[in-house]
Amino acid sequence: MIELYAIARHPGPPLPDLAQLRAVPSNGLAALCGPAADEGETTEEALWRHEEIVEALMLDRDLLPVRYGTRLADEQAAADAVAERRGELLAALEHVRGAVELSLRVRARSPGRAPELHALRSLARDQVERPGRDEHELLRAAYLVDRDAVERFSEEVARLQDANPELALLLTGPWPPYSFSQR
Amino acid sequence: MTDKILHLPPDLDLFASERPRLDNALTRRIGADPENLERGLAQLVLTVVELLRQLMERQALRRIDAGGLTPEQEERLGQTFLELSRRMDELKSEFGLDDEDLNLNLGPLGNLL
Repeated sequence: MIELYAIARHPGPPLPDLAQLRAVPSNGLAALCGPAADEGETTEEALWRHEEIVEALMLDRDLLPVRYGTRLADEQAAADAVAERRGELLAALEHVRGAVELSLRVRARSPGRAPELHALRSLARDQVERPGRDEHELLRAAYLVDRDAVERFSEEVARLQDANPELALLLTGPWPPYSFSQR
Repeated sequence: MTDKILHLPPDLDLFASERPRLDNALTRRIGADPENLERGLAQLVLTVVELLRQLMERQALRRIDAGGLTPEQEERLGQTFLELSRRMDELKSEFGLDDEDLNLNLGPLGNLL
């Protein structure tokens, strides 16, 4: 069995020396995978490891993160899986090219409305904005932001915070583009 | 993974659980006496573990929702999360931390979209 970590373009930069990573090519794309741990060995360390590997890969390439626990019989199965969804994967990779995901949450002491987000949206390539899950949470959002615009985006969030002292804005990232990998 | 925080709100309490309490976590983290320092570090580590645990849980739940898992896999993931929770509890009691201590930091991160 092999474990899938991410889908990326092929050829790409050399793979990091981690988890016996291998690129299984399929017509301009590659499934980045490694040998699966033994069945029944889903441990805390394994979960950690998965995220660490995806993030290491993310450092120097565009990728679509694959969820933890995605296993296939062998490399041929991986190549087939990629070939089957080639168009979709290429489109999604193009969409996240050179970008990372940033997560923004806005909370407030009293129920109210989320701040004007126009400035943030204009710095992002795409966004998923959802209402909060309780009356104090005004917004849960993910923004797809160019790597070199992350700093500007953070500054804009800081500005928004200053302009809205009654709110609490929390920005985290960069994350693999979890929210933008399905097109 | 604290370097994942790009912007921290001045009013962090809003991201803690509803119970208003909490001395300043940053102060605590750089507290002068070694015991405090060690505790601060433990807190940092636990927060990261908790973040990742929640991240993984959410991904796994999405997969279960999407019908992408066999019953055996669902069972195994369930077991894993139980195991993780138990381990977290052990660590917390070892370092004398309660959920509130962790919530300050992990509240926000745990809810990454």
